[in-house]
Amino acid sequence: MSTQKGGYTPSLEKFLDGLKSRPVQASVDLLVSLLKRRQIKGSEACATATAHILLQIVARDKWTNVDQLLGRIQLIGRKLVAAQPHELATGNIVRRILGLIRDEASEDRNDATTDSLRPASPPVPVPSQTSSPQKPVRPPALASIGSFARTQSMFNLLSDPNVFPSTGSNTSTPGQVSGASTPILNPQATNVSALRSEVIDGIQEIMDEIKMVDEQVQTYADIFIHTGDYILVYQPSRMVQKFLARAASKRKFTVFLVVDPSSAIDADNQYASLFKSMVSSGSNVITILNAGLMAYMSRVDKVILGARAITAQGGVVVDAGAAAIARAARERRRSVIVLGGVYKLSPECKLLPESQIEWGDPSKYVRFADGSLVSHVKVKNAVSEFLPADHVDTYVTNLGAHAQENLHTIITDHYKEEDIKFELYGKAQR
Amino acid sequence: MPHRGIHPRRVVPKTGRSSMSTASNEPPAEVKPKSAEKAQDTPATTPAPTNGEPQAQGEKAAPPAAPKLSNAELKAKAKAEKQARRAQAKAAQNAAPGGGSTPTSAGQSGPQVTEPKGNKAKGKPDGGRPADSGATGKAVGSKGSIPAPLPKPEGLIPECFSHLSMAKRLPITQADKDVHPTVLAIGQKMAIFGIDESIARLEATLLAFKKVIESYTTPPGNTLARHLTPHVLNPQIEYLSACRPMCFSMGNAIRWLKLQVSKIDPDVPDSEAKKLLCSSIDAFIQERIKFADVVITEKAADCVQDKSVVLVYGRSSLVEASLLLAHSKGKKFDVIIIDDPSEQKGQILAKTLIEKGIRVTYSGDFGALQSHVELANIVLLGSEGMFSNGALYGRAGTCDVAIAAKDHGKQVYTLCETINITERVSTDSLTFNEIHPDHCSSKSFRLLYDTTPSDYLSIVITEISSAQPTSVSYLLRKLEDSN
Repeated sequence: MSTQKGGYTPSLEKFLDGLKSRPVQASVDLLVSLLKRRQIKGSEACATATAHILLQIVARDKWTNVDQLLGRIQLIGRKLVAAQPHELATGNIVRRILGLIRDEASEDRNDATTDSLRPASPPVPVPSQTSSPQKPVRPPALASIGSFARTQSMFNLLSDPNVFPSTGSNTSTPGQVSGASTPILNPQATNVSALRSEVIDGIQEIMDEIKMVDEQVQTYADIFIHTGDYILVYQPSRMVQKFLARAASKRKFTVFLVVDPSSAIDADNQYASLFKSMVSSGSNVITILNAGLMAYMSRVDKVILGARAITAQGGVVVDAGAAAIARAARERRRSVIVLGGVYKLSPECKLLPESQIEWGDPSKYVRFADGSLVSHVKVKNAVSEFLPADHVDTYVTNLGAHAQENLHTIITDHYKEEDIKFELYGKAQR
Repeated sequence: MPHRGIHPRRVVPKTGRSSMSTASNEPPAEVKPKSAEKAQDTPATTPAPTNGEPQAQGEKAAPPAAPKLSNAELKAKAKAEKQARRAQAKAAQNAAPGGGSTPTSAGQSGPQVTEPKGNKAKGKPDGGRPADSGATGKAVGSKGSIPAPLPKPEGLIPECFSHLSMAKRLPITQADKDVHPTVLAIGQKMAIFGIDESIARLEATLLAFKKVIESYTTPPGNTLARHLTPHVLNPQIEYLSACRPMCFSMGNAIRWLKLQVSKIDPDVPDSEAKKLLCSSIDAFIQERIKFADVVITEKAADCVQDKSVVLVYGRSSLVEASLLLAHSKGKKFDVIIIDDPSEQKGQILAKTLIEKGIRVTYSGDFGALQSHVELANIVLLGSEGMFSNGALYGRAGTCDVAIAAKDHGKQVYTLCETINITERVSTDSLTFNEIHPDHCSSKSFRLLYDTTPSDYLSIVITEISSAQPTSVSYLLRKLEDSN
């Protein structure tokens, strides 16, 4: 992750730290600007930030029925996506949460057999006054996610007596969470608050999933990496590094680590832990400073790439330069393995390869001091690009390894039809 | 050749061909044949003391001049000598710049340059020298015979690439005493890639050899045809290939030169023979380099259409000249430069082009390569060599560009002088390649070249023809016939 610790540079951590002290709308605006300035970038950071902000909206915004909430989330989702349209993970999380809300709402409808959540139901008073007995405190959920304090603080916030001026019901038995078991109050409000807690739990699960992806993906490492293999990785993300390190704990192989020559100096620091774990287990790491990798392909057995996003058709958004590598691998019939969490799997189907090239900071190669080049040459520096599906052999997600044909199944498992159709990118693509 | 930009990474002392004249005029002051000899002495198995040794170990082996030595004494002496040499080699390495590459260099030239001074006049076996083996170099062969292997863990070549050659950057102090000052100078320039392109290295080599021949006098009792090659030219060739593995064009030209030397009639007087050789070198340069470049640039410029977009990779002087020529013919075209981020020579090209008013798009790496190629109409590639199966030996990354061009159905023109064509065959990039001497460890590694299969090249433009890449072998045969 490119976020920096310390200093005054805004980062994901700082954004999350200040999240509960800010009004929701302020947080939304801040996040949009952070995304626009690429101060939060990378699919994991964007996904985490999106999940957190949407959780805030669910928890703290005043909404009285499902449609209102859905509308609100769609609106915020569009804003976030428009702020960094190349980052598909943002849209994925928005869609997942929309689907989650729909799921929970339909369950509630069945459970309560009330018509309280009719789409056309008129706005009801803020539920905070009445819903106090059904505190969305869920110890089981807390236990499962007890490892991170931030989410706990969300619950503290929800149980904040200022927000929910309740009387002693904080200690009520944790089992009474489902809408059916609530005391008799305004049924709508009851359902809203129950729904709220259900949705919050769901979002927590998504956040957990994002956190756990690295660990889950790396369990498949020894299936793909064998002793004596020559593995080529390109500017490996943390996930890819962990994947290699895990495989190195069981097998001895050689890694061709392709680094960006312009950052080769700090490449040592960047990949220090990878070097350490690889070398200590007897595997080799060779840092390669070439840009065109065709020269090495006759030696390479497998190419492992970290995905920024994976589309339903199997195309992958990768770091710029990886497409040329995958093309070279195809030339020599080397297998290309793409790693990425399920949350990177995007149902978006109207993507054009060209639109997925993100152009970035041209000063990477041409310094601004270089007057003649700056003023007369059109300098282009791609940050990410699109890798067509036919250049990829296998996709490894936290759910396992998939063929290209299986991706559709995963998408239908994770997204709702109506959310897939939802035009998140309407604004972004004009 | 006007390029004003300074290479961002390395301070390059005057690149290009223009540097030759200056290089050959000033005799380097730091030529010390004696110390040079010491540093890379004979392997200890030869009991005969060489000239350099007495000073080196005068104190150690007390009776060096003892009239009779028993076998045991001889052995002990040899041992002492060996140790002294090791100590010296170590010292030389420590003093030598460019640390990592030196451990091999001491041993590298050892077996080849063993000949002690005294033996000079008596011929020595020459034939199978790897001197003209071009880029294959002799890294592997010589590695085994290193008398004092002092491998630093840093400078190790990863095992899977150990068969590839690498510039040894032989310091001047370790050069053979017979190496001509001009050759010493260009060797150093080649070692630091000051003279980098295959054709520029060829020209520099030939001009330097002309100097060598001019300063040569046949010793009494020898004939030029028999003496020049083994005793004068070969040390130069060895030194040059120790500085940096020779490229195919140098190998070709040196073979040609040796042939010319051997053809000289023993009855021809020295001065006349030298004049003859020099004029044939001049003719060779004119014909195979200068004239070839003119013809190729002309042809390539014709390939550039008006209002088209030309994509190039890195900087090749032929491509640059072609673009400038096309521009001066009044054609309007755009240029997309894809660059190797480690070299950034494309920026030099970009500056040259924008000076002439050509519109340039620059991409510093291979990001979005496909989309760049899509915008182009044709691709112009320079080359370091051609294999006889039509594969192109070019700067690392050339192949990726060619593949992308093929994917989008763009014409790929390769510019290549026929002297760069080798009769060798290569199917992958690891058969012939060169490791960058600054990046030769597991910490950082870089290959300099790659091989592009002929499928990805549309047309190869040489001074003789513009033809399919697979017809290169016919070209080669045609050239041999004409010689």
